Formats: sequence, C-alpha cells, structure tokens
Amino acid sequence: MSIDLDRRNFLSRSGLGFGSLAASYLLNAAEVTNPLAARKPMLPATAKNIIFLFMHGGPSHLETFDPKPLLERLNGQPVPDSFGDVQLQFSTFKSVPILASRRKFKKYGQAGIEVSDVFPHVAAHADKLAVIRSCQHDGFTHTAALNWLNNGWPRLGRPSVGSWVTYGLGSESENLPAFVVMLDGGIKSGPPVYGSGFLPAAYQGTVLRNGPAPILNVQPPAARGSANQKDFRELLQWRNQQHLAARGDDTDLAARMASYELAFKMQMAAPELADIAKESDATRKLYGMDETGTAAFGGKCLLARRLVERGVRFVQLWSGSTTGGGDWDGHAQCDKGIVTMAGKVDKPIAGLLADLKSRGLLDSTLVVWGGEFGRTPTSDGSANGGGDSQGRDHNPYGFTIWMAGGGVRGGQVIGSTDEIGLRAVQDPLHVHDLHATMLSLMGLDHEKLTYHFQGRDFRLTDVAGKTDLAARLRT
Amino acid sequence: MQEPKKTTPSRGLQFAVFTMFGAALSAAQQPAVAILQKQCGSCHGASQMSGFDVRERDALLRGGKRGAAVTPGKPADSLLLRAIKRDGDLKMPPGKSALTSKEVALIEAWIGVGAPWDSTAAKTESTWWSFQTPKLPAVPLPRNMKWVRNPIDQFVMAKLEDKGLKPVANASKLSLARRVYFDLHGLPPTPREVEAFVNDTSPDAYKNLLDKLLASPRYGERWGRNWLDVVRYADTGGYETDVLYSNAWRYRDYVIRSFNEDKPYTEFVKEQIAADEIWPDNLDLNGGYELPKDKLANLNRRLGTGLYTVGPMAVEYTFFGDQYRAEWQAEAVETTSSAFLGLTMGCARCHDHKFDPLSQRDYYRMAAVFAGSEDREIPIVSQMGVFEYTRYQTRLVIADQIKERLMAIDGRKGAKRAATPASKDERETLLRQLGDAYLKAPVMFPKASVLAHSEMVPDSHVLLRGEFKQKGEQVSPGFPGALGVTAKITEPHRRKALAEWLTSPQHPLLARVMVNRIWQGHFGRGIVATSNDFGRQGDAPTHPELLDWLASEFAAQGYSIKALHRLMMLSNTYQMSSEPNQANSMVDADNRFLWRMNRRRLQAEELRDSVLASSGALNMKMTGPPVAVPLSEEEKAGMRDPTQWPVHPDVAEHNRRSVYLYVKRSFRLPMFEAFDQPDAVASCARRESSTVAPQALTLMNSDFMLKQAAQLAERLRKDNSNDPAKLIEAGSRIAFGRAPKVDEAKRAAAFLERNDLAALCLLWFNTNEYLYVD
Repeated sequence: MSIDLDRRNFLSRSGLGFGSLAASYLLNAAEVTNPLAARKPMLPATAKNIIFLFMHGGPSHLETFDPKPLLERLNGQPVPDSFGDVQLQFSTFKSVPILASRRKFKKYGQAGIEVSDVFPHVAAHADKLAVIRSCQHDGFTHTAALNWLNNGWPRLGRPSVGSWVTYGLGSESENLPAFVVMLDGGIKSGPPVYGSGFLPAAYQGTVLRNGPAPILNVQPPAARGSANQKDFRELLQWRNQQHLAARGDDTDLAARMASYELAFKMQMAAPELADIAKESDATRKLYGMDETGTAAFGGKCLLARRLVERGVRFVQLWSGSTTGGGDWDGHAQCDKGIVTMAGKVDKPIAGLLADLKSRGLLDSTLVVWGGEFGRTPTSDGSANGGGDSQGRDHNPYGFTIWMAGGGVRGGQVIGSTDEIGLRAVQDPLHVHDLHATMLSLMGLDHEKLTYHFQGRDFRLTDVAGKTDLAARLRT
Repeated sequence: MQEPKKTTPSRGLQFAVFTMFGAALSAAQQPAVAILQKQCGSCHGASQMSGFDVRERDALLRGGKRGAAVTPGKPADSLLLRAIKRDGDLKMPPGKSALTSKEVALIEAWIGVGAPWDSTAAKTESTWWSFQTPKLPAVPLPRNMKWVRNPIDQFVMAKLEDKGLKPVANASKLSLARRVYFDLHGLPPTPREVEAFVNDTSPDAYKNLLDKLLASPRYGERWGRNWLDVVRYADTGGYETDVLYSNAWRYRDYVIRSFNEDKPYTEFVKEQIAADEIWPDNLDLNGGYELPKDKLANLNRRLGTGLYTVGPMAVEYTFFGDQYRAEWQAEAVETTSSAFLGLTMGCARCHDHKFDPLSQRDYYRMAAVFAGSEDREIPIVSQMGVFEYTRYQTRLVIADQIKERLMAIDGRKGAKRAATPASKDERETLLRQLGDAYLKAPVMFPKASVLAHSEMVPDSHVLLRGEFKQKGEQVSPGFPGALGVTAKITEPHRRKALAEWLTSPQHPLLARVMVNRIWQGHFGRGIVATSNDFGRQGDAPTHPELLDWLASEFAAQGYSIKALHRLMMLSNTYQMSSEPNQANSMVDADNRFLWRMNRRRLQAEELRDSVLASSGALNMKMTGPPVAVPLSEEEKAGMRDPTQWPVHPDVAEHNRRSVYLYVKRSFRLPMFEAFDQPDAVASCARRESSTVAPQALTLMNSDFMLKQAAQLAERLRKDNSNDPAKLIEAGSRIAFGRAPKVDEAKRAAAFLERNDLAALCLLWFNTNEYLYVD
C-alpha cells in the first residue's frame, strides 16, 4: 500500500460532487489533508507506539548482554584462524590481539538471562526483555551503520524508521508532533538519521528538549503577551478566511489555516507536556532524576512516557553525543567508557520500563534498545589513539539489541554470536529483518508500506526483510 | 477470473489468456513473462544465480543446476511451477512472500499454451513514446480561436474543448505582476513596480515587462536555483566526514551566469559533461601575465564540469580505490540520467531495469564513460598568479613553527593548558606572532574543482549486485541502445562522446526533458508530471503533441531557454487566473488540462528572500563563497560539529539571497528543511509543497522572522511617520502589492491599538496571501 496523500485524488475518488463538497470542504479539509491523521494498521498489531533507545557510538555487546568466557582464555593472543577475517574501520583484524572483558555477568529473572554488572537496574527487568544477540549488517563506519539502523540503508537519502511508521500509521496526538527525537548533543551523521528522506516533510522527526520551550519555535516571543496572541490569531485567521472566500475550492489554503490552528494548539500543549512539576517525587526517583549522573537521561525517559501517554507514535532517545558528554564509541578504554555511559542510562531505562508497566502502557509500547553496531572481540591496538588503548573497534557483524513491551514476550534470548562474539551465527537478524519485525509488531506489512520515488516503489526494508521473528517474539 | 484448483490450467483460464489478448501471442506472453522477470529477475537475471536465467526463453526452458525449468505445454512437469507454488523442496522466491494465486495461475496458463515468447519483445520495448525522436506535430485548430495568443494556446484549447472544459477569465494585472516576478525572479514586485505595470496601458506592456525581468541578473539566481535542485548541488559531501567542497560555489555561480547569459541549452549540457575535452584550456599565455581571453573563456566553460565534483560522497566508507571509483561513477551515471535524460537508471546498478529497456550492462557502459576521469582542483589564474602565492609561502612556514611551539606549551591535544606565569607570557607573545604571520600570509590563488583525466584509465566491468568486489563481464564505454542515437567515442574523449550523443538533434529525450522542466517551473506541473522519469513508470504526458511541438521549437530557437520562457509566458494559458470553477472541477479537479492557472506556495528560498525584500534588508550581492547564517543553540540540534558551520563575521552577508547560503548535506537550515528544501542527495525533480504546523511555528516565532518583522516596521515608520492608516497602507502595498480594503484597514488599525507595528508586519508575513502566488 502506498499511502494516498493526494487530497485531490481523495476528493475525486470519494465520489462526492463538487456542490456537496463545497459546503463541507472547509470542515473536512483539515482531515483530508492532514498527513498525520491516524490510520488503521494493515495487520493485527500488538504495539501502538515505539520508544527507540539509541546508544550512539556502538555499545559493546561483550561488556553488556553477550558474555564470552573464551575471550578471557585467549586474552592477548591473535584471533584463531578458524574465525576468518573481517573488514574493520581502524584496525586490521588479523594483526590485533583478543581483548578480554572485565565485566562480571550474572543470570537474572526466571529465564536466567545473563546481563553484565553495568546494567543492574535493567537486569532486574530481565523477564520483560527479549534479548537478540544476533543482529548484523555490513556498515563498519558510524554513518553507514547509523543509516542502516535508522534508515534501513547505508547511504543518505532514505526516510528514517520513525518517518515510515508515522507515514504508515499517522498520529494519535492532535497537538504534538507524531515523531519526536530527544538528543544528547550532536550526531556523527547529523540529522538525516531522523529525517524523512524522500517522504514529505510532515514525517520528519521533531527534536524535543527539556524545558518550557521543548520544541523549536514553539514558544511565542516573551514580548508578545497573551492578549496579543489572541488578537494575532483572530486577525490572521480572519484575513485568511477573506482570502479563501475569493478562492473557493482550494484545500491547500484551508489546510494551511488548519495548520495554524494546530500550531496554536501546540503552543499550549508543549509547555504542558514539559511541565513535570505534577509528577510525584517517587516517579522522579524511579527515573533517577534525583541523582546528577542519571538526571539528564532520566528526564528524557520520563518525557518519553508522557509523550506516549499523549498518543505520540514514535519517540527516539539518544544517549551519546559528538559535542560533549561522551558516547558509546569505545575505541580507547572501552571498559571505562561502558561503565560511564551505562551508569547514565541504566536506572532511567529501568524506571521507564517499570513506569510504563505500572501505568498499563507497556503492553502497547514497544521499547527497543540498541546502537549502530557492537564492538570487536579484539583490541583496537594502536590504530586509534596510540599505545594499547584497551579499546574495541566497530563490529557490525554480530551485536545485541533488546526489545520489551508492545506484545513482545520477555525472558527470552534469541540468536547467538560465535564463541568470540564476532559474527552472528544462530538466527542471524539482519537490520532489514529487525525493521520488518518492528513494523510487523506495529501492524504494518513491510512489503506493502511503499512510497513511489525516482521511478520505484521504495520500502524501509528495500528488497529484503523477514518477519519470522515477530511471531517468535509474541509467543 | 476464477482461480484454477488443479495443476493443469482450466480451459476457462486458457481461454482467458487468449481472449484477453486476442490472437497476439506476443501480448499473451507479457503478463506471465513480466511476472517472472519481476519476481525472479533480481537473482535469475544478469546475476544468473544457480545458473538460471529468466531473461531469454531458451535459458528459461533449459533451467539451471537443477535441470529443465519449464516444459512447454506441461505445467505439471515444470520445476518452475512447483517452485513458485512452493510445492516441494524448492520454494521460490526465497525470503519474500509467495506469488499470488493469480500470478501463479497466469504462469501456469502460459506454460500450458506452450510458453510463447516473442523474440521482438526487446524491440517493442524501445517503441516507448519518449524513446522516439520528437516530430513536429500539426498545430491543432480549436473552435475558439479568439482565445488563442500563440500556438501553445491552440494545443491547450483543443484539449479543453475535447474534454468539455472552459478556460477561466484572465488574471488581474496585479495577480499577473506578482506571478511573473515570482516565476522569473523568486521575489515580489515592489509597490512601484506593480504600479508601473498596472498603469502601463500600452499593448506591449506585458511583453516589455517579461523582457525587463529576463534581462535582470535576479533571473539567473531564481532559475539557477531550479537547476541546482536537478543536479543535487551542495557545498559539502555529507556523511560523517561531511567534507567541505570549498570551490563548489564556482559551479553554482557558473550555473547562475549561464542562465543569465541565456547560454544555449545544448552548450550548457556539453560544458557540464565535457568542457575540458571539447574546449581545451591549456592554451598558451601568449606572452601575457594575465590569462588570455580565449583561455579564460574555456576555463569558464570548464567550471561546468564542477557538476561532477559536488555530489554526495561517504569518503570514510571507501577504503578501496575501486570502491571510491565505483561510488563516484555510479553517482555520476545516476545524476546524468536523471538530470539530462529524465530516466531513472539507479535501478540498473544492481539488475536490469524492470520497466525500461535499460540493462545493467547499459549502466556500466555509461559508468565507463566516466572511468578515467576524476575531480581536480585547478588554479584559475596564470602560472604567475600561482607564483605570487608560492613566493610568500615562507610566512606560512613561520606560522606552522609558531603553532608547534604553542602546542608544546599547551601539551598534547585535549590536555589542560599550562598555567605557569612564564609560559603564559610566552604563550601570549607566540599568539601575537601567530596572528601577525597569518595576516601577512599570502592569499590563496583562486582555484576551481573540475573534471580532469586521471593518469590511468581503469578497466570497466559490470558489478554484480552493484558490489565493487564482484566484477562481472568487462565493458567498454557506450550509451543505452534503446534510445536509438549513437555516438562515436574517440579515446580518451569519452565524455565528449556522451555530450555529443545527448545533444544530437535526433536525441529523443534531451529537449523534451528540458522543456518539460521549464513548463513545470511556470505551471506547477510538467506536461509529464514525473519530470525525472520519462520511462514506463513515469506519468504519461497530458499534452504529448504540445510537448513535442515545444521540443521542436526549442531546437528551432537555438535551444534558448529565455525564448522558451517568453513563449510560455506570452500564451493566454499562462495568463489565466487561478479562480475556481465548479463545472470544470467536476471533470478535471486536478486541473491537468489547464483550464486555470495553478496556485502555488512559495518555495523555501523564495519565502526567505521575499521576507528580506519586504523588510528592506535583502543584500543583492552576487557570487562568491557560500554564507553560513547564524543559528540559535536550539536550531543547531543534532549537528555533528558546530565548528563546521562557519558563521560569516559580516552581518550584511547574512541577508544575501538564499541561493548563496551554505548548503551542508548533513545539516539543512531548519527554516528551509521545514519548507521542503530537497536534501541534495539525489536529483530533485519537483519539490514537495507540504503543509505542517512547524512551518507556522517557524513563521510566527523564529528569530529570523521576528527580526525581519521588526525591520519592516522600522522601514515603514521611517517613511510614514506614525500615522496608523499610512503605515497600514504602505505595509500592505509592500507585502501584497495593493492598498488595503476598507475592512482590512479597519481591523488592522484596531489591532495596532493593542499591539505594536512589528506584530502586524509579522502577521502579514504569515497570511496565505503572502505565502501563495495566484
């Protein structure tokens, strides 16, 4: 299905004559032309919303969710020939030694899922998690990998997952953007990872910040008082009505008037969304907002819950930045980096899972945790920073993501990497499959969600993607 | 159609295959063959997985490693059928959903009737209308000749009469003035310009206005921008490194200059593809110090090849020379085919085009045209100019030495600065010396990025599935055969042959595609609505004869683009109003047949430029390096490295026309992004015109808009003291080109009693009357 966005097609196909339409088109124009109007899923859906927790830089699966005891025995030795060779960005795989993990793993929950000591709080929710240890793609640089995970293709120009989902399902929120992004600072590839690519601009991610003016330009300038705001709105819409009256049938003009009404509503809704004064101390504590280390990401997680509560379709939270505060890119001192970065997000993520659960939102909200790739079992050597960096290079050939909520049965581990955590071996899940699965959980058929561009019907999953996993996740 | 239940097709279905397509077997095969090629072709086409190839009948019958695939007349014995029915071990296609029962039934029926295959199929494909050289059609004679001003109108009126549509009345002079100023300049007319046109009652008033506007340099800025969309222009490469193309702007300026000079389109095309091969610029200085005129002229032509040096490139993703070249060539092929041919060749990178007669081989033959070429920075001054720089380079050596000392004091990169008083003093002295050294350093001589021949010409191959390590058949440079035109390649001038091929008078696409772009620029939609896709997946032309007539006229007028503008804008079709008409809407709600003019929203750049023009702040300076304008902290969200956004220190530069602003591939200006500026990753055929709330928020609350509203208020006060009625009238004339109506003035005055003038100015900028052109 290519979603029909052409209002004129809609009008002509609806079979309504112009006369009967004329009377009601003003009323309907907003509805007809609102590209974000909520749409029914194509398939039975178990999730209505997605919260995508994105650990920017590439979190090491070997220090978090994929224990590899063999690394300790091989520490400092070259990689055994049986593991073959791979292309890496900075180091030459065959000439760098194995690096053991310093993390301690423990089994959690009834299912006994192994999680390392950097995620004690998340681990307490092990029975809510489906940990997928066999993700893979072929982009060994950040941008290619960021594009893979976020846009389903290593090159620029494709719409992001959030854009596809809002294109497919629209939004349940009338006065907030459908696809919201909360950043931690700069991104290595810049904003195209939450852009709408060739889809209309209506589907691009809107950046949300903490504070009273969370959306760019949502805050009217201080000089403009509320009296002015009312006068402005009235006079503007009067002018536009006069203009429209002389131009009869133009739904574009009517839609723009509706877009101003929505903008005025957003000006009211955004501060309400950001006003967390009404949240209890217990709730803030749950998200770690009372501790300096976790306050920032905790605030974002709390906002994520508030967004989902208000019907926002797709929320993406970023941890890790190019403009200060560090990221998950553990080239040097990988262990230290993981401890620091996980320390900032562990309690907030656990708080989010607990809060969603207690409010009955987890069943309809799919939470996905991951980054653009994992890390190599080998040391980065001297390739990136000099000396023995105790770091790990990028590894897109096998890494971990986990899902919770949205109809996903927790307490399961899916797939595995080889004995050193280099490649996905059992149940490999390509990014196309991951995306097909996410869409499937949302009730979207990845083969039918298409958009015609440059002479071709494009999909998020290009010409691939399997959904077998969705059934397994649900049972 | 009923679905058959057994493996042998029912008689009913066999009958259906014949009756649907009559006796013509060549047509009967088409649905089944098309399904096979669509569903199986990606693996069993050029890449021949398991030795199986569905592109030819013999190969299809022969099958692959598993033996015969099709036994004509015996569907039940055909492995192919069992595989697509997923009946047995072999289940095809893998990893995708199975063929629908209807598709299976068609293939079954087709095998049942003997798997007919028309060997002329390939040829019939190239009978596609847009692959035929346009012929000058007869100009039709509509009944209503009174309405007709030029032949365009005859084509349009004939079609309107045919469809039972009636053209609406002509636009008012005010509407028309706004329309032509925005169409040709991307700027609103000033109150004085509107007045001059409205009051000019001479019969040539309109024609004279067009001539005046076409002669203005503002024209090249507007139409140059349209071309920059088509060739995905940007100042950086995108991706993580997002490298700065520091000379890209010379190509941008070349484009603007070319439009302003009304360079014949064929020449424009030749220059961009092969100026270095056609007009060599390594001419002798002839004893002078400065570049001689002919050499300079050829150098200026060569700036056109900058087209191929400003594309997106993930330099960090190309660790192999072969990979870098493959990516660069692929980008060149895709931009060339979209921009000049109006065909989407991107599909053929990995497999034969599924809908158009463009094979994977065609793609790599075209890529081979660019093999042996590379981008190069060249000086655009004489050798003496280069020596001017090199003789003072010692000052840069000194600067480097000082930098090293400074770094030694500061410690390694990233370490805290040393704080002892002695080192502090030394540091300050060094900083002074460093500044001094830089100020005296020579200014880099002007350079341009252009195409040049590389030292070695690598062999070209078909790359299986587009992967640079999967080399297939070796290919020589060449052009898609389906287009009928040929050109001879004389090594090493491969691009010259491409340019000659494209600009051959017999070429079926070049002129059609360009006249269609110009048409789209004036009427909002091309005669072919998919202006980058004239293939089977594209839209059919609404007025095919008119398109061909225009293409022929374009050639007859020496490929003058300005002549095309005149022709289109002097038609009555262009001068209609955009008013509604109920009866016409019932028949043609989309206005495909042009019973009125299409209303359009201003594009991102037009909007910003108009606001600047209205406020009086617009800086009309032309040419030069791109300008980064200031951004608020919030606006910079997500930018990888804010130092890659070098805000110009001169505030006057911040008010330059939008075409001169910095185009960074990994970060678009938020206002432009909100208003649908394309992402400069691939050729943009036609801009979206979306309507979303963030646009309203931008126009009501952004720093830029507030500043310009205040500026307009100041401008009005300066000219009109403080009399509200005068302020309102003057503001209305600037914003809308007209005096306010009585009730508008009354309400505006009431607004001003409680609000300041800047708020009213902002409100004007937010009205639909400001944002749309009738």
